[in-house]
Amino acid sequence: MKRSALTALVVACLIVTLLAPRTGKGSRPGKPGVRFAPVHIYLDSGNAPLAAYQFELVCSVPVRASQEGNPPKADHYEPAVKIVGVEGGQHPAFNNAPYYDPAALANNRIIIAAFSTGADLPKGRTRIATIHLQIPSDTEPEYELKLAVAADADGREFPAELTLETGEDQ
Amino acid sequence: MKPKHLIALLILAVVLAVFTLLIPSLNKVHRYASRSDQPVSQPRQSVLESHPPSEQEQLSWHDLRDGESAEQPASLQFGETRTYALERTASDETDLSLLGSPSTSSAADGNKTAELHTIYGDSYGGAMGGAANRPQHIGTPQSQPRLQQAYQADRGLERRTLAPDLASVTADEIWVIAKPEAPQAVGPQYQTPGSGAMLAKVEEKEIPLPLKHTDVKGQISGYIATVEVTQQFENPYSEKIEAVYVFPLPQNAAVNEFIMVIGERKIRGIIRERQEAEQIYAEARRQGYVASLLTQERPNIFTQKVANIEPGKAIDVNIKYFNTLAYADGWYEFVFPMVVGPRFNPPGSTDGVGAVGRGKMGISGQKTEVQYLRPDERSGHDIALAVDIDAGVEIEEVSCATHATQKTSDAPQKAHVQISPLDTIPNKDFVLRYKVAGKTVKSALVTHTDERGGFFTLMLYPPDDLKTLQRSPMEMVFVLDCSGSMNGQPIARAKDAVKRALRKLGPDDTFQVIRFSQSASQFGSQPVPATPENVRKAIAYVDDLKGSGGTMMIEGIKAALEFPHDERRFRLVSFLTDGYIGNEVEILEAIHDRLGDSRIFSFGVGSSVNRYLLDRMAKLGKGAVAYIGPNDSNSEIVDLFYDRISHPALTNVTIDWGSLKVEDVYPSRIPDLFVGRPVTVTGRFAGRQNTTVRVQGKVGSYDKELAIPVRLADEASTHPGIACVWARRKIEELAARKTYDDSPSLPGEIQRVALEYSLMSEYTAFIAVDSTHQTAGDHGVTIAVPVPVPDGVRYETTVQN
Repeated sequence: MKRSALTALVVACLIVTLLAPRTGKGSRPGKPGVRFAPVHIYLDSGNAPLAAYQFELVCSVPVRASQEGNPPKADHYEPAVKIVGVEGGQHPAFNNAPYYDPAALANNRIIIAAFSTGADLPKGRTRIATIHLQIPSDTEPEYELKLAVAADADGREFPAELTLETGEDQ
Repeated sequence: MKPKHLIALLILAVVLAVFTLLIPSLNKVHRYASRSDQPVSQPRQSVLESHPPSEQEQLSWHDLRDGESAEQPASLQFGETRTYALERTASDETDLSLLGSPSTSSAADGNKTAELHTIYGDSYGGAMGGAANRPQHIGTPQSQPRLQQAYQADRGLERRTLAPDLASVTADEIWVIAKPEAPQAVGPQYQTPGSGAMLAKVEEKEIPLPLKHTDVKGQISGYIATVEVTQQFENPYSEKIEAVYVFPLPQNAAVNEFIMVIGERKIRGIIRERQEAEQIYAEARRQGYVASLLTQERPNIFTQKVANIEPGKAIDVNIKYFNTLAYADGWYEFVFPMVVGPRFNPPGSTDGVGAVGRGKMGISGQKTEVQYLRPDERSGHDIALAVDIDAGVEIEEVSCATHATQKTSDAPQKAHVQISPLDTIPNKDFVLRYKVAGKTVKSALVTHTDERGGFFTLMLYPPDDLKTLQRSPMEMVFVLDCSGSMNGQPIARAKDAVKRALRKLGPDDTFQVIRFSQSASQFGSQPVPATPENVRKAIAYVDDLKGSGGTMMIEGIKAALEFPHDERRFRLVSFLTDGYIGNEVEILEAIHDRLGDSRIFSFGVGSSVNRYLLDRMAKLGKGAVAYIGPNDSNSEIVDLFYDRISHPALTNVTIDWGSLKVEDVYPSRIPDLFVGRPVTVTGRFAGRQNTTVRVQGKVGSYDKELAIPVRLADEASTHPGIACVWARRKIEELAARKTYDDSPSLPGEIQRVALEYSLMSEYTAFIAVDSTHQTAGDHGVTIAVPVPVPDGVRYETTVQN
């Protein structure tokens, strides 16, 4: 074997040694790379008292193609976000945890509905629910929110605006 | 550089590279052994297993009580506890990196490390063979760091503290030095509590356990109950904890709601595939988020975990379920089980439900374990229970033999019952029976329709005139459980029942009495005629039976079902047992394989019977089950039993659904209808027209037909829980098939139904995470909630220590 070849092999082995993953130090066993975060859903009913609502939330994460050196494809998503809890809203009328449709539940998609038969109903902008999520830690999800219906105590539908906010302090 | 030098360098580099690639994976195993976030696939290891002494290392145990040193800890008596310091002394050649030392360079001077261990004396009895009275379990008390430091200083060991891996060992690990002879199961993914801090605190009765209170509210409408169970957890310790509670629910409970309550905030849990939910929970727990997980271990045993409860904080978990009430001999019966009875698991099994003493998590080798309080201990956990009955027709009588109750009523068809504040220890089933007036009980359809379609349940009552017909001669086989859990009151009641039943046999009948515990034996080599002389001898035989040993029920099954059947007689096999076994699937499989023409009519005996097992045995055995509680009248129950089997059943039952288009009916084959024992049928339907359902069958050689009018518009005949009841029944049927059908599609089918209807099952779980707040620090110590042994059951003969 030529000296240059031997030298190359030695260098290669040393590189392997240096670049080997340091999993023994500081790494935790278990599923790496997820975080938990809430999404707060707000409904603005204007002057109408809100007695019932239904909406759909889809949370998507672009394929992490960038890790492979390719740009992410805008039309290709993976269901990496998982819904891990549904919490009630801020007004007493909607404080109870709202129901979701189990048949329609997917990892990243949920249909939520609630109603209140009480006399004290919220008007204007109010937080109606908080959705708790497990998200891949290196990505920021994209959210799609669809209001199916907002109605008053007589069952009359009215136009309303549905928005969301992220972050822990609400 | 010469080529030979290069080659040598190459070899060195290759070796270095290989080691570099391999060591991390070795390191992982090493770390899992002592870290709290060990994965499910890794069994727990002891310090001595993960850090075995090398040949150059000497171990020395120092009893902190008297300072005595020894090569190994003293043999302790059952219940005795002693704290030792384990010193490891290494020679200069010892590579202390094996002990997790940051480097070996400091080993030249003072090659000693010290670890504190609490050792519990154990009494394993025959099952553990030579392990009896040997020290079995060693805990590392987290509450003793100062003691450890003081010890190290005293011994001149301050130059070397604990190795990093050992220092990270938390209090809730149980180290097994002397392994039991039975194979060890894969440990649960959570740490096991009990040693060290928790034991000390509880024994001193300074701080109660994290489950403070359970509140149960039931609403009965017709024969369907809607029950909300609230478990109130609170952290009374000074550090963060994870609470783990193994608890029972009715075997036919359709659990479909799960809400975690933190102060005023209510977070609805999400139903998910079980493994996925467990992964989410583990990750949330690891990252410090408050989370809760509900899993099903058996159809009537569940595990509740609540992670990251901060000191002084309270978290409630609210569970809601539907179930259909049993109806027997004129009474509807609402049952709420309060404690899981201590189960016996056959040697070699690892998938059972272990029964261990408080703080002894892990010693049973079973996947699921229940910790039990000693008889002189009492946790602060109590229970409140209230039931509202709306029978729809006048209630004639309400009775509760298990608890002191307070009853009120503001209408003839309604009643409110709650357990007395003086009877709040959760150590026995709550059994409430009520009877409606006159002959108002009739077969009727209850329906629910939503966007998924129509669902119904039909409680099918046997025709009244069955009572006028007499049965054919019987071959009666009594199978009496004489295991340790039956010792005392349960076996006394079972023996009384057998003796009473023997006296009621007719001259044309034959009988056999079989007893089983570790093995089975019987009264005679074959069934004998029920002559007065034979009955007298059999009663003497029964009188001599005692309860002790394990519950090898399979031996009783074989003895009862494997001998030749007398074709001229109707063969009835009657098991009298508490059902405290962990291998239910094996038993049900054995019954399925051996039943033949036999029918199984069993008695569940005790205060907290394994009703899942007894009910499934009755269904598989095409018979029925009755329960004898501590305060029930033996004579009444046995007489009713005889009334039931003294008349022929309605057999070959078929149903014509009229104009309803019916599918997915469970049970798929309608069982025989016996006197006093209706059958609940559930299914899906399409159609909106009123109709008449016709039930046809045979009584002997005669045809019999029942007509049941159906009024779909009648709101009194609807119930929102019917869809869940149907889905739960479908899951039950699929799970029953799984005991004898290897079809790989069954688990997936169960999971699909459970996810679609948001139901607990073997393959699904509820997960709830509060992502708005991340608690500080590590996930803390895992505390299992110990429970009392059921009323009438002896701790000493049933719980492993």
